[in-house]
Amino acid sequence: MQNKILKKDRIAGFLDHLAASHNLIAPVSEDKAFTVFKKVLSAAEVDLNFTNTLIPPKNYFFPAAEKLFAFSTNGGDIIIEEPQRSEVSVIFGIRPCDIKSLSLLDPVFYGAFPDTYYSSKRENTLLIGLSCREVLPTCFCKAFGTHPTDGVGADLMLTDLGNYYLVEILTAKGSSLLERNTGFFSDETTDSAVLEKELLKDKLSADFIRKPDLSGVKQILDKVFEHPYWGELAAKCIGCGICTFVCPTCHCFNMIDTSRPDASGSRYRCHDSCMFPGFTKMAGGHNPRPTKVERVRNRFMHKLKYHLDRYNLEGCTGCGRCIAKCPVNIDISQIITNIREVVKDD
Amino acid sequence: MNNITQELQKQAKKLLEDQVVQLVIGYGYGSDPFHVTPVFIRNPDHVENLIWNPFCVNNLTKYLTEYKYLPGKIAVVIKGCDSRSINRLIQDNQIERDKIVLLGIPCSGILEVDKIALKTGYRLEIIEFGEQDKEYTLHTSKGSFNFNKKDSLIDKCYHCNNHNPVVFDILLGSKVEENSSTNKYTEIEKLEKLTVEEKSKFWDQYFSRCIRCYACRNVCTACTCQECIFNVAKPSWVERINNLSNNTSFHLIRAFHVAGRCVDCGECDRVCPVNIPLRHLNRKILKDLQELYNAPIPGADNNTVPALGCFVSEDPEEFM
Amino acid sequence: MTSNPLLPHIATIKSIRQETDDVKTFQMVFDDQAVAENFVHKPGQVALISVLGEGESTISITSSPTGKGFLEFSIKKVGRLTSVLHELEAGAKVAVRGPYGNCFPYEAMKGKDLLFIGGGIGLAPLRSLIDFVLVEENRNAYGNVEVLYGARSRADLCFKEDLFNKWPSCKDTKVYTTIDREEPDWCGHVGFVPAYLEELKPLSTNKLAVTCGPPVMIKFILRSLQKLGFTDERIITTLEMKMKCCIGKCGRCNIGSKYVCLDGPVFTLKQLKELPPEF
Repeated sequence: MQNKILKKDRIAGFLDHLAASHNLIAPVSEDKAFTVFKKVLSAAEVDLNFTNTLIPPKNYFFPAAEKLFAFSTNGGDIIIEEPQRSEVSVIFGIRPCDIKSLSLLDPVFYGAFPDTYYSSKRENTLLIGLSCREVLPTCFCKAFGTHPTDGVGADLMLTDLGNYYLVEILTAKGSSLLERNTGFFSDETTDSAVLEKELLKDKLSADFIRKPDLSGVKQILDKVFEHPYWGELAAKCIGCGICTFVCPTCHCFNMIDTSRPDASGSRYRCHDSCMFPGFTKMAGGHNPRPTKVERVRNRFMHKLKYHLDRYNLEGCTGCGRCIAKCPVNIDISQIITNIREVVKDD
Repeated sequence: MNNITQELQKQAKKLLEDQVVQLVIGYGYGSDPFHVTPVFIRNPDHVENLIWNPFCVNNLTKYLTEYKYLPGKIAVVIKGCDSRSINRLIQDNQIERDKIVLLGIPCSGILEVDKIALKTGYRLEIIEFGEQDKEYTLHTSKGSFNFNKKDSLIDKCYHCNNHNPVVFDILLGSKVEENSSTNKYTEIEKLEKLTVEEKSKFWDQYFSRCIRCYACRNVCTACTCQECIFNVAKPSWVERINNLSNNTSFHLIRAFHVAGRCVDCGECDRVCPVNIPLRHLNRKILKDLQELYNAPIPGADNNTVPALGCFVSEDPEEFM
Repeated sequence: MTSNPLLPHIATIKSIRQETDDVKTFQMVFDDQAVAENFVHKPGQVALISVLGEGESTISITSSPTGKGFLEFSIKKVGRLTSVLHELEAGAKVAVRGPYGNCFPYEAMKGKDLLFIGGGIGLAPLRSLIDFVLVEENRNAYGNVEVLYGARSRADLCFKEDLFNKWPSCKDTKVYTTIDREEPDWCGHVGFVPAYLEELKPLSTNKLAVTCGPPVMIKFILRSLQKLGFTDERIITTLEMKMKCCIGKCGRCNIGSKYVCLDGPVFTLKQLKELPPEF
């Protein structure tokens, strides 16, 4: 597909224009240490120097708390009202690991019973990806076949090459967005920019500190369900939900009803965590995953095996958020490496 | 290997070999140079996994509540701040004193990872650390780096009054000099001076980020309820939906629930993934308790009963 | 626009039958005729019942799909929502969505003899298949039917009308009921269901066993069935699991890489043995 150039001094104008005509979601830094994808009304709010947000942009498609419907009574009847379907949106600045996470979540939210809340946002949202300029110590997207400059899954992919961005047009949707905004883009030849991007790709490739080798890991996991290794990991785990709530591929949720005295109310869905003890607990008291051992094992099995079994897609993108934030340094990239050693020792 | 690590491994090995304890909870190397991870040693041949260095920030004492019913004793590595938790856990009947063997470490402060990594990068191995009066030295595969304790430690260490554990069975190193800092609540005083609108804005900004991961609650040694009020479905005291109102309720209720029992170990603040300055809440309450009841910091000794948890007949008001 | 699978439809409770102290059978009809006509379920499937404002629960559909125009759910009072349901009266409105889950392999069962073994409320999902098999238009497609059922006491027996009148009067159908302990006025069998099964020694040739009940009962039943010569493919059970969305998205009902709401709740013993032991 075609490429274009976006000069640095035009990006603010482009973002302002996007914000005026779409629901524009972009990275906003609330303070030095906290950037989050948020709706913006102007380019001035956007921080283009962020590395990545802690809360993944998956939360736009699958929010932490989402109203499913409202209900009210009218005479003897109960009326159920769905919320408005979403407007056309643009997510600007999404990184390759997060772009990939959406394609890993799609088979979950589509499938036999397509989730209309997710699908309506997914189909009405344009993704403008942004290549990474640095690899964090916790990053390991490369292990999963993604790359810091990989735009697959986005509609447009921007790479910051100094004074300008290389703009790769990857889909028809991306192409028509550009056609509606041609004024901001320059048509100059992009051959050297493409080469520059390759150089950046090679440089970043060498920057990964975490390089777990996934080959054969699923086959090992097929056989180690009862291994004491899970108990060792589980001993450290404090059973919070940090890893699940910062994860771009996690999709577990609960549904909660709220109500008012006048018998009106709503049903919400909220992110839930398989690490919480009550997650699988049944009303009678029986709990298939009663201790941390079962829960910790289930999490890593799901990320590294079950998702593969079910959808032939990896369950993890190597974004490293869980590694950065786990209070006790449980590290999925280390588990991938260790599980091989652990089995060898047997 | 530094002296403390050497002594730690030696003592742990003896405790396990002599079957004085069934389990040793300590720190082990993490998955990168600047992080440690809790380790659980049962086999005396595995004690070489126990280490001590100035990155050992976790408060390991909460794990004791999971091993209450272990038939044997448990040894746990504790710093000064952690040792206050021990006193409180015992006072709250969460663990019995004669079930634990306390391996105390005199700590001069924990290094702030970001500051260190900025200077050294991540592509290195830390071979050992050295400590002088005013500095830590990291001996690494890329050479030695000095860090002035004055500006390289995590925030909470600057107002630490218990560098040495207040309770221990075996002290693994020589005692260090305690801080004689007086006013520890400067940042609280600053917050107190804000107007209501400013305070509101300050906390709204943070509470609206909360993802209700409950890490702060899970890591807290004062949070030991069998059934946490925030897990109860009926009635749903504070809904799971993470809007500002619910999140504010969660944090304020929890701060009050632990009031008088929080030992200011700072773990809640450290584990928060979205950087909510939770310690301010607890320290505001600690400051108030000090001013209103002349209450010393909870856990500083094992005799003082929590200010809000005792009834003395001389109290000026009746029970309720 | 695709329909929203998380949106329930309003239904009215037409009647409530008290089965035991803590089990009631609710008969419900969708308010919207079109919804009622589109709701075609198979024996063994589940639906989600909500009391709007309280919550939603997954309940197996106990009525056979051959009973047109209504749905029956037998609900045990165990938790928050079920307690609220038990307070409702006929005429009250609830919200229902479904049907979800796989179903009993009623096609593959044709031409075979069937042995149903239930305990307590476990008879409820089996009942949808029993009634389906025994209904006149289907009866000849299936062989002999034996129903072995037990509960703690006479008062705890569910579906007494079916057990003592309806089912025994059907062609080639035998019902064996047992209660755990002796009671005055009970002349039937006394003893646990697994023990009764061993006493009855049903033949296993050309027969499928379908069972549902408390986990501890299932454990012994499976053992006894294997002793009687039933192979793993010919033992069928339906699992109870916490299911919230029932459409394979909320992640909580997984056993390994299977979702009980999509790949189950009906499984053969052979399939169960391939799953990690986490249910």
